[in-house]
Amino acid sequence: MSRVPDGSSLAGTAVRVSAVRVATGPTTAAPADSGAATRRSFLKVTSAAGASLLFSAALGAPVAGAAAARERRAYVLVVDGCRPGEIGSGLMPNLQVLRDGGMNFPRARSLPVMETIPNHVMMMTGVRPDRSGVPANSVYDRDEKVIRDLDRPSDLRFPTVIQRLNRNGFTTGTVLSKEYLFGIFGKRATYRWEPAPVVPVSGHAPDVFTMDAAISMVEEFDPNLVFVNLGDCDRMGHSDLTGTTLKAARQAALVDVDTQVGRFVDMLKTSGRWATSVVVVLADHSMDWSRPDKIISLQPAFDADPLLKDKVVIAQNGGADLLYWTGGADRRAAALERMREIALATPGVLSVKAPKRLRLGPNAGDLVAYCRSGWRFSDPEQYDNPIPGNHGHPATSPIPFFIGGGHRLVGKGSYSAAATTVDVAPTLGRLFGLGEPRGGYDGRSRL
Amino acid sequence: MNNRYAASRFAPWVVGLVVTSIELDRRSLLVAGATTGVAAIGVALPGEAEAASNRYFKHGVASGDPHPRSVILWTRVTPTPQATPGSGKGPRVRVRWQVARDRRFRDVVAKGSFTTSAGRDHTVKLEAKGLRPRTTYFYRFLHKGVASPVGRTKTAPAANASPRNLRFGVVSCSNLPGGYFSAYRHLARRNDLDAVLHLGDYLYEYGPNDYGEVRKPVPAREMVSLSDYRQRHAQYKQDKDLQALHAKNPFIVTWDDHEVTNDQWAKGAENHDPETEGDYLARRRRAHRAYDEWMPVRMGDSVALGDGTRLFRRLRFGRLAELSMLDLRTYRSEQATLAVTPVPSPDGSVSDPERTITGKAQMGWLKKSLREDRAQWKLIGNPVMIAPVVFPPLPNDVTKAINDVTGLLPEDGAPYNVDQWDGYTADRHEVLNHLADHGVQNTVFLTGDIHSGWACDLPLDAGTYPAESGRSVATEFVCTSVTSDNLNDITQTAPARSSLGVEAAIQANNRHVKYLNFDDHGFSVLDVTPARTQMDYYVISERTDPNATVSWTASWATKANSQAVHAVDRPVKERR
Repeated sequence: MSRVPDGSSLAGTAVRVSAVRVATGPTTAAPADSGAATRRSFLKVTSAAGASLLFSAALGAPVAGAAAARERRAYVLVVDGCRPGEIGSGLMPNLQVLRDGGMNFPRARSLPVMETIPNHVMMMTGVRPDRSGVPANSVYDRDEKVIRDLDRPSDLRFPTVIQRLNRNGFTTGTVLSKEYLFGIFGKRATYRWEPAPVVPVSGHAPDVFTMDAAISMVEEFDPNLVFVNLGDCDRMGHSDLTGTTLKAARQAALVDVDTQVGRFVDMLKTSGRWATSVVVVLADHSMDWSRPDKIISLQPAFDADPLLKDKVVIAQNGGADLLYWTGGADRRAAALERMREIALATPGVLSVKAPKRLRLGPNAGDLVAYCRSGWRFSDPEQYDNPIPGNHGHPATSPIPFFIGGGHRLVGKGSYSAAATTVDVAPTLGRLFGLGEPRGGYDGRSRL
Repeated sequence: MNNRYAASRFAPWVVGLVVTSIELDRRSLLVAGATTGVAAIGVALPGEAEAASNRYFKHGVASGDPHPRSVILWTRVTPTPQATPGSGKGPRVRVRWQVARDRRFRDVVAKGSFTTSAGRDHTVKLEAKGLRPRTTYFYRFLHKGVASPVGRTKTAPAANASPRNLRFGVVSCSNLPGGYFSAYRHLARRNDLDAVLHLGDYLYEYGPNDYGEVRKPVPAREMVSLSDYRQRHAQYKQDKDLQALHAKNPFIVTWDDHEVTNDQWAKGAENHDPETEGDYLARRRRAHRAYDEWMPVRMGDSVALGDGTRLFRRLRFGRLAELSMLDLRTYRSEQATLAVTPVPSPDGSVSDPERTITGKAQMGWLKKSLREDRAQWKLIGNPVMIAPVVFPPLPNDVTKAINDVTGLLPEDGAPYNVDQWDGYTADRHEVLNHLADHGVQNTVFLTGDIHSGWACDLPLDAGTYPAESGRSVATEFVCTSVTSDNLNDITQTAPARSSLGVEAAIQANNRHVKYLNFDDHGFSVLDVTPARTQMDYYVISERTDPNATVSWTASWATKANSQAVHAVDRPVKERR
């Protein structure tokens, strides 16, 4: 039985827990996080702006964050789809101050496939997709015979740093603006915010609401780790279809996300948390734009080939196509050779890789095709991907990655080490003194 | 070859443009008649005589191509007075060498001996191994108990090191008859360099008064034979300013055209006449042989003489920077039709995908080194400018459309100088698109060749720059010449006056060109940190004055991940 909060707010904060409902069972798909409570409490919180926010919490989670003094706090803020150069563009003064006052890793990169879900998973596991089971946003599920997003809690097969922190007596929170991220991380964190309100086309909550939730979560529950995804930059890149206003919309999103991060930092400073905080800011991938005349559709080309016809399924991931051979094993080698040949002969295709080389694991299919900068995939049909802003291909691998905060472990300066998204979990592990997971990390601490 | 303009690295269009600008500018017109009035001086200078006082080591000492655990050491021994460079005379002799941690050689950490002979013009070139990364060493040679001048060198940081800083001198285009090497002297006074990058035109082939009248070239004819090339190298190596710079810092060099002859390409050169000068490739082999003998550089896989002429190579400086030195002469296709003054070249063949400036093997090697991202800054030692300089730069789509009708226009607009990457736009597209396709960040081209200082963004499409489709994917810093003619030398107008018109015209039509200085000689200093690279442009007061002074004139930087240059208001502070 979870403790019932008394409704009082923390001194000095404007957040108030106004109501609580105790759930008696799961309300979504079957939980996969081992050891976690199958029952959750729902905590309704009123933010400073007066909005009502609904958090869910693990059974037995403390409701008042002030209960224990925090010596270590970590916040991972993912500015989804941000290009590294955009931080210094003048549009993002708060992020620039945070970057220049901390440890900057200008050589940082997203890892294949340069998509949202796999890179968020890499951040929180510290391992590559061949170990986590999450190589892309969209895969062909051979068992279910369907192309689907990897948005189920059971899709993630490696212990996250979230779960490992919880096991070690720390508390954690997730504030993920995208529905599929909320989906895959599920109920792993001690406290979870379900994105709301969600923009129907993009499936994400605008940053202002996301940040309201992040700030409220910190002020109310003060978890040791909060993992935040800010989706506007990415979604403004994706969902603006006109082309002409793309730049303006993108810039507005950059300015806005900067304002939101500024609010968060202000909260840490005014609430006295700054000195014990490590703030990791990075992107999951970058962004690349293409015109309607630079679209690649491989499916028709495969289907025109007698060997491949109806035997290749494509899971399209914007700048990367995952290619699955569904024919007989005896013809697989010949088929892959043919697929490679056809793909490489198609204008706009940059390269075709074996998933093993990219450490993607079997979920990623038999081959991965990348597009060039300025192009995108649209499969299986030419109209399946109408959005101009895409990622997944190597052009979109450079990301901002910096560590700010007042914690003594946070240094100052630029570092030429090749940081990647898989370094986030080891960095958190170092801060909180966690041992390595089974098999070790694939990344390394940047503290 | 007696045409001064053709001999210059300026294409005729530049001269044409500046004449046009002078016509528009009465003040310039008035000064255009003034000459600098420098008489030819052929006698040895006090400094050169001083160098000659050392009986056995008249040509100084040099080091080059620093690796983390090794560096190349070089000298030339003159065992007998008859054993002059290029003479083919003199005995086979053994020279000892030492590397120490201290200037007085109390702590010798490596030593050995090297046998040389007239067969290699008595040059000594070896790789000192077993050294420590990023460490300053002193070295010298010994012959019959006589020690050479002491050289100082520095190894590169370990491959897995993350240095906070690297600093390089950057020079190019040092024509000895054109003036005195004051730029080298002033650069040699600095104590804070990791190495000096020489981006080509280290020496020039011309005969007396063909290109510069301040000093007389040796031999007194265009270098064509092996003996000619050796003698010319020897003359340069006796210059006291160049000796000082070699003795102070390791060099990392590449060649441009004049190390062989003007505007050379894979099978010929503008300044080569097969009728009178014989087979071009035979001449080039002689030039490469002399270069291999006389320069502290790896050609092929090692320092061994004759093990190859592959000059394009990669040097690593830990995780901070990787330097790819290019050879853009040996494998290139013949230049497209040169422009007729002052009309830019309308020759569409500059975009012919069959034509190359790098050659296939070097292009593959360059793309691989860029893609693999072994270090943060991908520095490219680039003998000729890669930024498009065109008139007018039209969007690629427009150019393509016009070409559908006329087949006339080169894809990046009409270039002014088809001897640089502008004359090989297919290769440039391949490199720049490669950077975009692979998300390669922090590529900086370091360039010589054109006797002027530039700082440029490198747009994917100059016509749509700086929009997304024409965004910059790298930057380029071009250093000016040590002595070789620049605009006001050619037009003999006052500095800072003649070139304003042409600078403005170029920048108006090429928005990615942010800085342009056509008037000065000097050197640059490139400072590299994880946060940015910065190029400081220093200029000398007067190339005809052996005691010329130096002053700082401009600084431009590229912030990490910006792919854009910006002005900086002061140079990096020199470390003492």
